[in-house]
Amino acid sequence: MSHQLPAILFLLPLFAAISMPVVCLKHRHWSYPISVATLAVMVLVSILNLQNVIHHGEVRYVFSGWTVPLGIEWVADGLASVILVLLSALGLLGVVFTGSTSPKDLGGRIVHYYTLILLLVSALTGIVFAGDLFNLFVFLEVAAISSYALIGVAGGRALFAAFRYLVLGTLGASLYLLGVSYLYAVTGTLNMSDMVDKLPFLLSSKALVGGLIFMFIGLAIKMALVPFHSWLPEAYTYAPESISPILASLVTKVALLAWFRIIYWVFNASIVINDIPILLLVAALGTLATVIGASLALAQRDLKMMFAYGGISHIGIILIGIGQGNQTGFAGGVFYLLNDAVMQAGLFFFAGVAFCQYGVRTIDDLGRVGKQAPWLTGSLIVMALGMVGLPPTGGFFGKWYIILGALEAGNYVSVAAVLLSTLLTLAYFVKLFECIFRQSSTQLDVQSGGIPFPFKLTLGVTTAAIIILGLFSGPIVQLLLDHALPPGL
Amino acid sequence: MVDAFLAVLQRPNFLAFVIIFLWGFYIMVTRYNLVKKLIGMYLVQTSVIFFLVSISAKKGATVPVLLSTTEPVQAASYANPLPHVLTLTAIVVGVATLGVGLALCAAIYREYGSLDEEEILKKLE
Repeated sequence: MSHQLPAILFLLPLFAAISMPVVCLKHRHWSYPISVATLAVMVLVSILNLQNVIHHGEVRYVFSGWTVPLGIEWVADGLASVILVLLSALGLLGVVFTGSTSPKDLGGRIVHYYTLILLLVSALTGIVFAGDLFNLFVFLEVAAISSYALIGVAGGRALFAAFRYLVLGTLGASLYLLGVSYLYAVTGTLNMSDMVDKLPFLLSSKALVGGLIFMFIGLAIKMALVPFHSWLPEAYTYAPESISPILASLVTKVALLAWFRIIYWVFNASIVINDIPILLLVAALGTLATVIGASLALAQRDLKMMFAYGGISHIGIILIGIGQGNQTGFAGGVFYLLNDAVMQAGLFFFAGVAFCQYGVRTIDDLGRVGKQAPWLTGSLIVMALGMVGLPPTGGFFGKWYIILGALEAGNYVSVAAVLLSTLLTLAYFVKLFECIFRQSSTQLDVQSGGIPFPFKLTLGVTTAAIIILGLFSGPIVQLLLDHALPPGL
Repeated sequence: MVDAFLAVLQRPNFLAFVIIFLWGFYIMVTRYNLVKKLIGMYLVQTSVIFFLVSISAKKGATVPVLLSTTEPVQAASYANPLPHVLTLTAIVVGVATLGVGLALCAAIYREYGSLDEEEILKKLE
């Protein structure tokens, strides 16, 4: 039974998604409880899966008995299992949150809305597990197509943002596919573990370098790495309030995960191609992304836009950690990825609640929140501590391990970049809190009842998770070091 | 330099791929009409599919069904089936993306009464 867990994890949301339009044909209000129940079961199964992987080692799932390298293989190793717990938990929170914010004018189409969310979650599960480069491409596209549709649901400006995302995202996917076909032409295999055996003899091949570059550019568009980030801020800002948290916390992070699975698991990360060490390039791009993203965030006045640029800058920090090429840096990068996903979800939950309850769009309106909802402000303070990286939160320990890794590698530019982006993050949160606590901006009193329970629950859980990740950072990083490291690091 | 050109001419399929890809990319970047952008996007996708198929072709090879079960398999006499299968999947993915793209275009037209990017941007401000 336990070796079937990866397939069960993927099929749960997929079957729920496919059967939902039929089951909910007459009773459209069933779609919400069904989605919540499915994802709640998925959280339990993913925890079981993690436990299984920790105790019995990684699970290699081969579909319909076709063994490697002929068949499609899924790999549930430590890294995938940890990320999957995060993915299903944040998916569940996102869907719970959706209950009170879903666009009112959707009517009967609300069923399809939940279908798309579940499809997105199942596709992301596929990306995390995929042990086959082409399989990865297919799930990347399924996830992307559901996100285009989900962003477009909001109408208005979101339509145009979704269209831009679609054009750029498809270009990225095509480049990734091109890279995969280069690698296939050189090695004759698509399976990652099979390719590992064949690559050492082919490292001088120019086609291999070309393929790697195309794959990287393709995935960089998907993960919104500077300078390929232009689709992200608008898409996440104008997306429905309930969708932004799921997208911001999961989609870019999972594309990033796919990238470092390729670079560490398929290519040996220490390889130098044409005198260019790949990892150094990754760290340099991360440096660029984190500083530029944070500076752009400082210039924003729209709340969600600011958080979206914050997310772009944090992608850079994770890449810096991953790019150091030592255990500390890698574990720190993955730990920071977990934290960043939770913080992004929390920030967009906050933005959603602030808009739905108090009509806050830009930071100038934030004064209303400060006056009327001290608890909301409190949770934002905790998230800000996490984003900036102050001690009781997980953000601090993530950055701590990344900096330790960079010092170990003697890469002082990376250390400086992390510190600089921390200062810039502090600057834009100071700007935010200045607007909250300034008394003069509270002239417009919006009448609002109590905050609905789902809002309180999701915000409370994410806020608590930021602290808990910080308090238990030691065991979690140890878990990552023991079970989630790539071979040969 | 001449050698490089001659080497390219040895493989006209790669040349065709590069031309179609860049053509599609050019349309995507330069045209303001959203449907034209989608056409360019589809050309880019198609060029990659063309590339995948072209690397699997062999001269004088036949369909990948075993001619004889007793003799050892001669790999050179069969076309590689895998890229064709990948291509099928990639076409399905491409059609799905195009479908969502056209649906978004229709919604944009209903919302803004235009498909011209510049006009839409003007209305957004």
